[in-house]
Amino acid sequence: MEVKMITRRDFLRVSAGTAIGATLGSGILGEARAEPTAKVILIRNAEVLGRQDQVQEDVLKSMLDEAVKTLLGVNQPIEAWQKLFKSSDVVGIKSNIWARMPTPKGLERAIQRRLLDVGVLEKNIDIADWGVLNNPVFINATALVNVRPLRTHHWSGVGTCLKNYIQFVPNPSSYHDEGCSPLGKIWTYPIVKGKTRLNILSALTPQFYGRGAHFFDKRYVWPYKGLIVGTDPVAVDTVGAHLLQTKRISFFGEDRALDVPPIHIIVADKKYHLGVSDLSRIQVIKLGWMEEVLI
Amino acid sequence: MRILVFFVIMVWIFTIAGIIKGEEKGEMNPKVSLPIEMGGWKWDGKEIQYDSKTLFSFMDGAAELYLAYNFQHLTVRRFEKLNQPPIIVEFYEMASSEDAYGVYSFEHQDEAVGIGQGSEFGGGLLRFWKGKYFVSIYAEGEGTEVESTILMIGRAVANSIPITGPESKLIGLIPGRDLGLVDKSVRYLKSHVLLNQRFFIAHQNILNLNRKTEAVLAQYLRNEQRTQLLLIRYPNLKEAGEAYQNFMKIYLPDAGGKDRLKTEDRKWTFARHRKEFVLIVFGASTETDAEVLLKATEGKLSGT
Repeated sequence: MEVKMITRRDFLRVSAGTAIGATLGSGILGEARAEPTAKVILIRNAEVLGRQDQVQEDVLKSMLDEAVKTLLGVNQPIEAWQKLFKSSDVVGIKSNIWARMPTPKGLERAIQRRLLDVGVLEKNIDIADWGVLNNPVFINATALVNVRPLRTHHWSGVGTCLKNYIQFVPNPSSYHDEGCSPLGKIWTYPIVKGKTRLNILSALTPQFYGRGAHFFDKRYVWPYKGLIVGTDPVAVDTVGAHLLQTKRISFFGEDRALDVPPIHIIVADKKYHLGVSDLSRIQVIKLGWMEEVLI
Repeated sequence: MRILVFFVIMVWIFTIAGIIKGEEKGEMNPKVSLPIEMGGWKWDGKEIQYDSKTLFSFMDGAAELYLAYNFQHLTVRRFEKLNQPPIIVEFYEMASSEDAYGVYSFEHQDEAVGIGQGSEFGGGLLRFWKGKYFVSIYAEGEGTEVESTILMIGRAVANSIPITGPESKLIGLIPGRDLGLVDKSVRYLKSHVLLNQRFFIAHQNILNLNRKTEAVLAQYLRNEQRTQLLLIRYPNLKEAGEAYQNFMKIYLPDAGGKDRLKTEDRKWTFARHRKEFVLIVFGASTETDAEVLLKATEGKLSGT
């Protein structure tokens, strides 16, 4: 499907204050068809961060278990993970090592622990960000877990799950044009296509606003203490982007524009058919701590 | 004899010209020495160098910003002090002072601290430009001591850059505060990707921005409404005309041959082509507001 030229006027046509994902999905590129839906789990726990935002690993592990159980509709964590992974799988955990806001190590360990519990061999599991193209586990992977922190991003508007696969191409910078709209294409390449079983956004301390190339600013980071979990990367990203947007509105009194609108999320839905970007078709199940949940 | 005198004079002229040119060349590449120790923070002795091919590995995908502004070279130094967060100094050499100003202007949002030719400090990040250099200094942590040291290092680095340089002349062609120019809103832009990051117009390059064009985007507060002025200079009249026609065709196809339209937000967009320039006003509350901004800009362009 050819994506039409998107201009500022398309944004003006839709009502103010609605999530970009939802508005674009229905206002610009909407298609008349039986639309699929998606389920996303938002889980929060007030105790997951200790002094100086130190991650409390046991709490985080229980949050992950609760989220995956609810997502898969079962009562036991292992049962849930067994619905996603086989003991024979070779699993790459695609993380994010950006120094200013890496994926929490405790979250990586919790995922790894559950994969081992399912029976996946230790040698068949690896955690990496840069270098996945040369990593034997990722090259031979039969399954992937996509996990990274939620934040704004200079080139793609938001740094979320779709963006996290940019290391699966040898020329990442060539995916930065047009608000990184081609990011969804990466998900169609054989090294990742159809392999992602779980997408996890760490929203423990998300960054809701930033500017420019450094795009880390501690003034715009807040202890949300949450995880956003789903099997649909577009839906997970849509919820993540919506959370950041509502926080900006709450903080600034307006939706202060990001460096770029996160167009790539809608394009991933409408052009690459990777999932659901329309908030109205995403079932967000909220669990745990509800204070200032925002969405 | 006359031929000999003429020959001697010509040799003298060319020799002097060569000396002057050589001095200018030397001034364009002055030796800049970064500090070794400041406020108890010591340089760890390592200096990492990046060129345009390796910058991406340092930038986690943000190198295009610097490459768009003709990035030449980056030097990164780390300063450490016991029980304090490390301080990182990023020293960017750009092709010209216009480029260094461009990088600075692109992200400018915080309060000035009087370092270099333009500076800001906020969220623990110091950014400034001087001559063809853009400098970014920040700590991997917080605290009043580390923040005051960041400023000390910044002043030392700025003082070690002996040559200043101009910002783009295009900046002088937009109206000033008398017409409501918003402080810290002026962006000097070199690509449509950068323009979209500051003010999204279209996901494709409908204004035909390229390495030979330059643009200024600025915000104006008119009747308590924010209005954007975009001024673009093309290499020649023809390219400006083509870009203008393309913009009108794609962005304002329903303008009915006029240079203005009230868009879906009930605000006015105006676009004009003057000489090698294209001028566009977005989001004006009234036609008069847009006219005032455009007339003031056109007045400045008439002197070019």
